Amino acid sequence: MDFEIEARGLVKRFRGAMALDGVDIAVASGEICGVLGADGAGKTTLLRCIAGLYRPDAGAVRPGRAGRDRVGFSPQGFHMYEDLTVAENVQFFGSVYGLDRATLQQRADELLEFAGLSQFRSRLAGQLSGGMQQKLTLACSVLHRPPILLLDEPTTGVDPLSRREFWQLIEALRADGSTILMASAYFDEVERCEKVVFLHEGRVLAAGTVDDLAPAGASLEAAFRERMALASSGTPNGDLG
Amino acid sequence: MVTLPDAPDSKSPATSSDEATGPGRVWRATGGTGRRLRALTRKEFVQLRRDRRTVLLMIGMPLVLLLIFGYGIRLSVNGIGAELVGHDSSFVRQALTQHDRFKVTSGIAPTESAARDDLLHGRVSVAVMVGPSGLPTSVLVDGSDAFVAQNSLEYLRSLVASPGANPVRTNVLYNPTLRSADFMVPAEVGMIMLWVGTVATAIGVVREREQGTLEQLMMTPIRKIELMIGKILPYSVLTLLDAVLITTLGLWLFRVPMRGNPFELLLFAVPYLIAALSIGLLVSTVAQNQRQAMQTAAFILLPQVLLSGAMFPLAAIPWGIRWVSQLLPLTYFTPISRGVFLKGLGFADLWPQVAVLSAMAVIFTGLAAIFFKSRLD
Repeated sequence: MDFEIEARGLVKRFRGAMALDGVDIAVASGEICGVLGADGAGKTTLLRCIAGLYRPDAGAVRPGRAGRDRVGFSPQGFHMYEDLTVAENVQFFGSVYGLDRATLQQRADELLEFAGLSQFRSRLAGQLSGGMQQKLTLACSVLHRPPILLLDEPTTGVDPLSRREFWQLIEALRADGSTILMASAYFDEVERCEKVVFLHEGRVLAAGTVDDLAPAGASLEAAFRERMALASSGTPNGDLG
Repeated sequence: MVTLPDAPDSKSPATSSDEATGPGRVWRATGGTGRRLRALTRKEFVQLRRDRRTVLLMIGMPLVLLLIFGYGIRLSVNGIGAELVGHDSSFVRQALTQHDRFKVTSGIAPTESAARDDLLHGRVSVAVMVGPSGLPTSVLVDGSDAFVAQNSLEYLRSLVASPGANPVRTNVLYNPTLRSADFMVPAEVGMIMLWVGTVATAIGVVREREQGTLEQLMMTPIRKIELMIGKILPYSVLTLLDAVLITTLGLWLFRVPMRGNPFELLLFAVPYLIAALSIGLLVSTVAQNQRQAMQTAAFILLPQVLLSGAMFPLAAIPWGIRWVSQLLPLTYFTPISRGVFLKGLGFADLWPQVAVLSAMAVIFTGLAAIFFKSRLD
């Protein structure tokens, strides 16, 4: 089977501290995969390695740096130009991705309309609400219609209503055939994914469909906590608290 | 655990963008480098337009510095406090007050020890002993301010010169009245360009890192070299504007002469500018935030101002440190600027300096390219 997004034996250390310790994940074309983990589990590092922003210490990733043209990357937090307007941000990223004027115009209209940002075109990005900022980030990262999307906690700090709107965007992109890897700390969000990966202290605790991981009506959250507890007791230096 | 070689990207067969999956998926670049550079440059100018603080920093501060350097900094000291000791003498008084060099107290100090006390407490800087004949016999100079002392000695030499000796005729060329402004303003053009170019470029990059937009840019097709040029280009324009501004004001406000061709000066400034901006890029590779960028830039700029000959003559710099001067771009731009302003020199005379600056521009840009990262780690 051919995987659009893949990590094999991925190891990443920061000044000796192990951030990722032999991570394996694989996401097939058209799938949406959620990486679930607490803060510091290694989600951001994993996504950055896959995007090619970090050089792995060992292991292999796909698409990596060489495939970045095919990746739409939405980092954690808001990282558009706050002193540019919504329209200027879209214009800038579209131009950088090499879209011609007409195509850029058309896609910008489409995406901003769909994201509900049309009437905020001339507002400075820094003055948007958190939810609107996340939608702008997503819109800018899919302007060039990348087949692969890497989303790092895209809805953290976003109100529930905006989160629902944001998910409509994601669903639309998935329906369009995008392969999506999303890091999240929200259980309800990850439940929407076809595939789920539990990440804990730089290791994959479990991976599979929601039904695999939380069978017979058990909640994903309960399953995750159980696995975490197991992992902690299994290590001699585990957290006793 | 299997450890693959250090090129994970090549391990995974990278599907190129034309092999896209499904209809409507093909991403096509319609423009290359030129288009991306235009986008980057335009973005930078829009940001600058909205960032009043930076514009103030880049236009306002040079103006203040020009006024300070032009009006405030005097390389010759006048009105040095002096007194006569022992006897009064209108001859000595007249000699001292000539050209307002000294300001002589009306009374006289009765004894040398009284004069020493005056020097000690800073009431005067110079005490001239006058003999009964009304001629000076010896002089005491307060050496605690070396600058004042040196000027005093220089002035006093004429006073104590033996009356019989032939006076030597001196002719000061290029700046006959030895005006400080004529000396300082051309040097200041170089200092301002260095300051603005280095700081603005460094902050321009570091701000992107702080705000996380650098991470976004790294995910776009923008190449490292394009990102560098995208920073250098807009700030070059701004820095050159500053140079023109300072030159114009120097000519108008301080009546500094422009004996050479100002456009030639602008042309010579280009390699200097690129060197300065590349230093800014280098600063941005070590600084993690804007505060660090400012501090690092100040650390690099201060020795340039002190050791380049822009303020103090190169000849005054001891050999052990002189080699540092040789590495500083300002050391080569200062003679260019002074040469064009005051001596009317052109390329035929200044090509060695222009050549060194061009080499520096290449080396610093190359270093910046090596240290500038296209990844986060």
